[in-house]
Amino acid sequence: MIPLRPAIIAAIALGCAATLGAQTRMPDWSGQWEIVGATPNASGGMVQPLDEVLKTMQWQPPNNPQTQATVNLFHGFIQKYVDAVRSGTDPGGISGPTCTFGFPAVMLDSPLMFEVLPTPKETVLIFSGREVRHVYTDGRQHTPKDDLWATPWGDSIGHWEGETLVVDTIAVKAPFRNIPPGMIPIFAIGAEIEEEVITILSPQAQFIERIRMPDKDHLEDQMTVIDPTNLTAPWHLSRTYRRVAHIHRMVYEDCEGEDRNPVVNGHYTLTPPPSSPPPPLPPTPKSPEGHSR
Amino acid sequence: MKRVLNCTLVAIAAMLTASVALAHHSFAMFDQSKTVTIQGTVKDFRWNNPHVFIQIMVKNDAGVDEEWSIEMTSPEHLARVGWKPGTLKPGDKITLNIHPMHDGTKGGQYLSGIGPDGQPLIGAPQPSQGQVK
Repeated sequence: MIPLRPAIIAAIALGCAATLGAQTRMPDWSGQWEIVGATPNASGGMVQPLDEVLKTMQWQPPNNPQTQATVNLFHGFIQKYVDAVRSGTDPGGISGPTCTFGFPAVMLDSPLMFEVLPTPKETVLIFSGREVRHVYTDGRQHTPKDDLWATPWGDSIGHWEGETLVVDTIAVKAPFRNIPPGMIPIFAIGAEIEEEVITILSPQAQFIERIRMPDKDHLEDQMTVIDPTNLTAPWHLSRTYRRVAHIHRMVYEDCEGEDRNPVVNGHYTLTPPPSSPPPPLPPTPKSPEGHSR
Repeated sequence: MKRVLNCTLVAIAAMLTASVALAHHSFAMFDQSKTVTIQGTVKDFRWNNPHVFIQIMVKNDAGVDEEWSIEMTSPEHLARVGWKPGTLKPGDKITLNIHPMHDGTKGGQYLSGIGPDGQPLIGAPQPSQGQVK
């Protein structure tokens, strides 16, 4: 007969060890990742045409009639813009430079590469546009409503189911300037100037993701968008990310660098390169004699 | 009702400007209906954010060198398809396919090109459809 008390203590100890092991044994998702199906080209557009993007990336949201009507309005405006550009005119349409995609676009349709750093209490996703997602896995709940405000990346908590990271995100807002509160536009981006509004989500939208590594060279994000205000049913999407082939470190996008496309009279222009190096720094004052660093 | 309509129109206008922001800026300043082929000598390969530029000297009809600024995507995107800061060097003789500027500025949007070794630049089809400048 096994003595009851030592057995209980041993069982508790084993349980604690197992739990601790599950919390500290993190999957190795190191490296740089890029989305499959939205590959940037050297011209500043995408490799894939919009038709292909729409077909392969499951852009079929269950929009309710009101949402679809608004999407159709946007479609009309965008089509007019695209047609004008294709026909060789510049219709303008200016927004300030931004590298921000925001969530969920940064996971669904972004051409930016990213890294994932899983740690026991938090997983961090870092994108080349310097956007960062923080997913807290320390057992906390969402931020209380009286201390919560919407941001382009939302409020994310998560937990691990084996080596799958389950993420729950709320309180998202559109990152773009001039977008009215209450609208989270989701775009599909195709080659060159092709773009399409797929749906518009409400501020009440909730996003559940299951992120895992199906094999050593791919990550997968299965996302469910729950938005009873704008969708008729949960919207299920799946994205695959592959390892970046030619570069093995993070390099950043910077919209404020040597920007040579100032806006003049509502249209982008092109300026010559800076003609001379920046002026030299003023000479530093000499240190007092006998005092050196 | 009118207020709702106004709100929607404002939102549409906002959405339109937002849409072009996704790619840093619109490419409407380049004439997407025209493709021009230019041949010349690289003056500088400016590997900078937010966009990389090829500065290339191209002879005009009078045989005088003119500097063109050819805009590419970002260093991050180019690096991912194999470009490096040293892919092009001053003095390289190259051929480029571009969408020219609408306003006549000597510049354009990079489409594809042939490098100094006679081979297509990385990931680019050979220039074929453009009018040689």
